[in-house]
Amino acid sequence: MNIINRQNLKSLSTLTKARYLSSLASLLIMLSSIAIILVNGFNWGLDFTGGVVTEVKIDPKIKSEQISQLLGQGSAQEVSVISAGEPGRWVLRYAKVDNAATGDIKTVLAPLTNDVEVLNSSIVGPQIGQELAEQGGLALLAAMLCILAYLSFRFEWRLASGALLALFHDVIFVLAFFSLTQMEFNLTILAAVLAILGYSLNDSIVIADRVREVLIAKPKMATDEICSSAVKATFSRTMVTSGTTLFTVGALWIMGGAPLQGFSIAMFLGIMIGTLSSISVGTCLPELLKVKAEHYEVTPISDTP
Amino acid sequence: MRQQNSPTLLNHYSAWKYVLLIVTVMVMLFSALPTFFGEDAAVQISPEAQLKVNPLELHQLLISNGISVKRIDQSQGDTLVVLGDNSQQSQLKTLLTSQVNDPSKLTLTLAPAAPNWLLYLGFSPIKLGLDLRGGVQFLLDVEIEPVYKLHYSTFVDSVRQFVRTSDLYGVAVQYQVDGSVNITTKDLQQRAAIRDFVSQQYPNWQMSNSGERGLSLDISDAEKINIRNLTVTQNLQIMRSRIEQLGITEAVVQRQGEHRIRIELPGVQDPAAAKSVIGATASLAFYQVKQAGSVNAKTLKDEQGEPVYVARRPVLGGEHIVDARASLGEMGLPEVVIHLDRDGGRMMSDFSRDNIGKPMATSYSEYSRDDNGQIRQTTEVISVATIQAQLGDRFSITGAGDYDEAQQLALLLRAGSMTAPVTIVEERTIGPSLGEENITNGFSALALGMGVTLLFMGLWYRRLGWIANVALMANMILIFGLMALIPGAVLTLPGIAGLVLTVGMAVDTNVLIFERIKDKLKEGRSFAHAIDRGFDSAFSTIVDANFTTMITAVVLYAIGNGPIQGFALTLGLGLLTSMFTGIFASRALVNWVYGRDFSRNVKV
Repeated sequence: MNIINRQNLKSLSTLTKARYLSSLASLLIMLSSIAIILVNGFNWGLDFTGGVVTEVKIDPKIKSEQISQLLGQGSAQEVSVISAGEPGRWVLRYAKVDNAATGDIKTVLAPLTNDVEVLNSSIVGPQIGQELAEQGGLALLAAMLCILAYLSFRFEWRLASGALLALFHDVIFVLAFFSLTQMEFNLTILAAVLAILGYSLNDSIVIADRVREVLIAKPKMATDEICSSAVKATFSRTMVTSGTTLFTVGALWIMGGAPLQGFSIAMFLGIMIGTLSSISVGTCLPELLKVKAEHYEVTPISDTP
Repeated sequence: MRQQNSPTLLNHYSAWKYVLLIVTVMVMLFSALPTFFGEDAAVQISPEAQLKVNPLELHQLLISNGISVKRIDQSQGDTLVVLGDNSQQSQLKTLLTSQVNDPSKLTLTLAPAAPNWLLYLGFSPIKLGLDLRGGVQFLLDVEIEPVYKLHYSTFVDSVRQFVRTSDLYGVAVQYQVDGSVNITTKDLQQRAAIRDFVSQQYPNWQMSNSGERGLSLDISDAEKINIRNLTVTQNLQIMRSRIEQLGITEAVVQRQGEHRIRIELPGVQDPAAAKSVIGATASLAFYQVKQAGSVNAKTLKDEQGEPVYVARRPVLGGEHIVDARASLGEMGLPEVVIHLDRDGGRMMSDFSRDNIGKPMATSYSEYSRDDNGQIRQTTEVISVATIQAQLGDRFSITGAGDYDEAQQLALLLRAGSMTAPVTIVEERTIGPSLGEENITNGFSALALGMGVTLLFMGLWYRRLGWIANVALMANMILIFGLMALIPGAVLTLPGIAGLVLTVGMAVDTNVLIFERIKDKLKEGRSFAHAIDRGFDSAFSTIVDANFTTMITAVVLYAIGNGPIQGFALTLGLGLLTSMFTGIFASRALVNWVYGRDFSRNVKV
């Protein structure tokens, strides 16, 4: 780490301003995300609600009204018939598990056509759905707690709080997206949210590591400059890693097919927002909490030449 | 590159590290290879099935029926028909049914397509999850309450028996609805006597005094857990033997959570057949038939809905049944021949000796779940027969319907009698074509993501980029190799997503190191020194950054279900292997190629 010249200082101060602005934006995003989730709720998938989902392939000439009418006759409940991408491919969804729903779909559709290919079908009892939802919440909580424990062990609390806020920000944003679009929220999406948890921290920690390093190396430097220089030093790494991860998740989005669509969208958004938040709120909160070199004085300085 | 003697041994890895690296990667490569050859669906014909035709004729027959056969292997009497088209497996099995004497000995299986020498080395392909292979998955709920109830009622009976034989007048034994037993006595001596009896005969019961002369009793919590575990284990065994009868070698029967059983049947396309065998929980019981209006009688219905009055307790429950076979009896009527265990045989023998000439009813109970999720037991008397002679441990019952129904009943009984009702609470079917589609989609996403990443890293870091690329490829080899080696590791569709994600994130390790090297070069160090400092200073950041993702992977694995566990597995393994290749393997490469380059102003 060498002397920072005037040019550098100037670019650092513009970076600091940019960080403050983006933090403000992040704060707004967080608040509106919470509002969206409170208002809209989620479109819980079969995994959590229980019910019956069957995907079939039939003659493309058959219309959805014909199918829903036929299915409605056999069952007392409402049945949704959704097109699954290509013509003739339908997703049939019953909210409740009953005899009409669990019966053989081929016999139910027999009046329309005899050529029915069942691609997949899931029957989940209401009890299981509830349990999975509880388990999912538990997983999220357990992961958060473990991460909290690790962060408080590894970093000083002021620095850790920035990473935590960034993480909360990212998860809330992705959840709000699913709430707003009412895309189905199933177990795979939950897995994506947990993966985002890990990924978001990844970015924040790399920057926090740098902040700590600069703090120790240059105790006299102003906190905002330290944070900005840490962001600057890690910036190209942040961009490259986010870039490659976005490429691969993008590939998954394009090629992965319907079952992985939600997952890739969640990951894609999570990585983008995670990159932003690690720079914005991730560094601004520790600054606000006045993280200082003294907080790290006990650490032996071995790195400086 | 400039060769120069350095005062210290900078960037030096000893030979054993290179040997370790190369050996590891080679072993993993061999382990990963069979997966790329894939597996072919096959049907195994065991010697007991007694194939009626020779392999050549069989081949002709199958071809003429439009089945594409890859090869027919015969070894030690076993015949294996390997298919060229995986979707024809059930079609093939149906066709083979007419060509063998015992169709129940036909087994659906998979044959690795890898060359034999690889298989001889002990390597096998990665196990694919149901979402990639197609098949049916069931989640069963084992209802423990009825088992507890049985324990309570046996206990109450036994205490009442004791009260009667010890002439303890005025003692009332009551089974409470909330699941405990209350005893009221007339004096403290009576209470002490009952306490003695219970603590001797039922050490697993908890007792506490209630009121002045009362006793409150319940099964201890430890014993309840013990009972639950025993019940679930017994049901697991039963399910395994039932699945065996379906002839699927790769089936998975596992306990999940406290009282659930997960069954995976790869390759099964029609859940109905499997369901009827798994889902039905049948139990047989034999009752003494009583007169209408008798004191200790309960009413059961027969097939016509006519009431049959039977004794409250069965003479014998189905848990004593060792074997059951359908056959045609003397009158040409279908019957089920039942073979009892020793205890059951003695009980039946005692009972029938005393009741020759009297009728005995056989009841058949099935458990199902109604719309509200409540367990419903339907019991039907399937036969009332007069006891002709003293029965032993082997006898037959009639009245189960036609021969097919008798066979079905025998199958259910043979698989064992359920002491706890089991219901299907989740059922998932994935058609084989969707499985194939998922594999194609997943792997093309992996290929595209990998290609773009390799290209980008090569262009961005140039000199060091190819090192990152070699490390990334080694990383993939390691993950695939490990997935094939680890027992119980299953690749699922979310698992492939985890792989794709790993590709993107694995380069991070190298990126962190390379950026540090760039920094050090800017500070004016030589390339070799920058490499040394760069690797060292990036290390703790790499560990920190990977650790949090590892936490989520572990949590996901611990709490998730099948497909999600697949994701957690590839994500977690990917982190470990990317640390290995990103730090160790790429350092080895860098040391070897650029380690002695002491020139300054190097652009990377």
